[in-house]
Amino acid sequence: MSNKKRFYLIKFLGMTILLLLIFVLSIGLGSADISMQDIIKSMGNSRDAYLYKIIFSIRMPRIIAAIILGGALAVSGFLLQIFFGNPIAGPYVLGISSGAKLYVALTMVICLKYGRVMSSAGMVINAFAGSLMTMGVVLLLSQRVRNMSMLVVCGVMIGYICSAVTEFIIAFADDSNIVNLHNWSLGSFSGISWENVYIASIFIFAAFFISFFLSKPIGAYQLGENYARNMGVNISALRITLIMLSSIMAATVTAFAGPVSFVGIAVPHIMRSIMKTAKPIVMIPACFLGGAIITLACDGIARTAFAPMELSISAVTAIGLAPVVIYLLVKRKEAKNGAN
Amino acid sequence: MERINLDNLKVGYKNPVVEDVSFRVKPGQIVALIGPNGSGKSTILKTITMQLKKLSGRLFICGDIDKSYTEAELSKRMSMVMTERIHPELMTCLDVVATGRYPYTGRLGFLSSEDKEKVEEAIRLVGAEDVADKDFMKISDGQRQRVMLARAIAQEPEIMILDEPTSFLEIQYKIDILSVIKKLATERKIAVIMSIHELEFVPAIADKVIGICDGQVYKMGNPEEIFKGEIIEHLYGMPRGTGDTYINGLIGYSNAIEDILKAAPQGIEVTLESDEV
Repeated sequence: MSNKKRFYLIKFLGMTILLLLIFVLSIGLGSADISMQDIIKSMGNSRDAYLYKIIFSIRMPRIIAAIILGGALAVSGFLLQIFFGNPIAGPYVLGISSGAKLYVALTMVICLKYGRVMSSAGMVINAFAGSLMTMGVVLLLSQRVRNMSMLVVCGVMIGYICSAVTEFIIAFADDSNIVNLHNWSLGSFSGISWENVYIASIFIFAAFFISFFLSKPIGAYQLGENYARNMGVNISALRITLIMLSSIMAATVTAFAGPVSFVGIAVPHIMRSIMKTAKPIVMIPACFLGGAIITLACDGIARTAFAPMELSISAVTAIGLAPVVIYLLVKRKEAKNGAN
Repeated sequence: MERINLDNLKVGYKNPVVEDVSFRVKPGQIVALIGPNGSGKSTILKTITMQLKKLSGRLFICGDIDKSYTEAELSKRMSMVMTERIHPELMTCLDVVATGRYPYTGRLGFLSSEDKEKVEEAIRLVGAEDVADKDFMKISDGQRQRVMLARAIAQEPEIMILDEPTSFLEIQYKIDILSVIKKLATERKIAVIMSIHELEFVPAIADKVIGICDGQVYKMGNPEEIFKGEIIEHLYGMPRGTGDTYINGLIGYSNAIEDILKAAPQGIEVTLESDEV
């Protein structure tokens, strides 16, 4: 047992160090190259106003956002996978991110029409409403469609519909701010302010800690509904909580960064194979760390690969993580053809 | 005092499957539900475990007057092994058995040393020590059934509900599992309600047999009372006159099994090396 604990500790430590490394690297890398010395200098007395602005007003909030939002996305995916009892589930593939996107775009355009700008919290609340609505549709479908792969196909279709409607809204809206909206709707961490980060962290950390303290019933739920009930879990309460938590996390991400693809579905799987367990008490923090690492790294690539042009974050995560999803689908198929 | 008391219970989904089910189970008693496929044995068991809502009638658990228990209260009194397969990911058999301690662990579910002892004891009791550290998904069906039984034991229930605990197992596993169940009932005074297809095991294991067919309880009594030609004929829709022949053949076999069960009071001395997958 203590062996196991040491194993987890080493893995967590390794991931934290990796995250710190990418963190430092991310501060330095970008359209304006900043060396390690500059970073240290900017912290010290001999302040360079220009450097300080780049680091603390532009890069820092963006990096912190990528860490928190990436982590949230992975945890959201993990919770959804538990809920559906299926490793091929995530906020993006089930269309939840796109639903949130649609709702935010719609309300944003309406707000702009009346000359108002939506607050960060308002964005999150709208995104949450949108994600709950799509979640509702997915849940209705899941009662009809018992096959999980088919449900994922349905989710992808819902995602396409929502994205298409979003495109219409953006195309017909008349405002110069729409350009920003277009970038956002593709998924990007650029232009995130400290205010956004504060608001996002409130929602995300609340949802994260609730999830963590629900590790025990979530673990019981992994044995299936009936056994979980027999162990004393209030099933309907847990199911509602799981939906709420995963939706609020996916919604917060979408509100600030647009839809970010595949992190939610692939990271829990990668973490399971690294941690060699599916226990929620290990997996929830592990997914958060792993999601943070991968998202931060992908955002780094999105910023720097073709600088000064920026890629959308989803473009990078899709190339890196969609193959993981394909691998998952193939492996599942094999498992089915095998013993069971 | 009865552990379980069913009074005029009507069970089913939207439409009733079995009506007017009334029986009582005392501590240490084993009740076997028999009857053809689809007669509603599982439906009755699922209603007792509260997976299904009863349609009408009363269900008393541990003497309390038909109050609706919260899941948490019920979990310390009743555990179950159902026919549905579970698919836990990356869990060892020990982990699976440990989930039985759920009602007793703290907020985050960490096992105390007492919990760990109980888990190991349950594993020993069913003779699953050799697979304890193996992945639950990578062992044989028979071993899995043992592990699920150990899980139900670790929950320290007063009542155990077992849905076809011996189906699809080879003979030695059936005998092992049944002898553990018998032992639990006698030593720990657990009230057991089980459904079972293999009639030959019923006289050896059950104190009371309930025959269910055509949407109702057809006959209830001790094994000698139920194992009669015409009752079995009616229960399973067999041609007239075949029941007696069947029972005559069955008695010899079931006596043999009773002897075997008695001869192995520990029940789990037999290890089957070749059965590991």
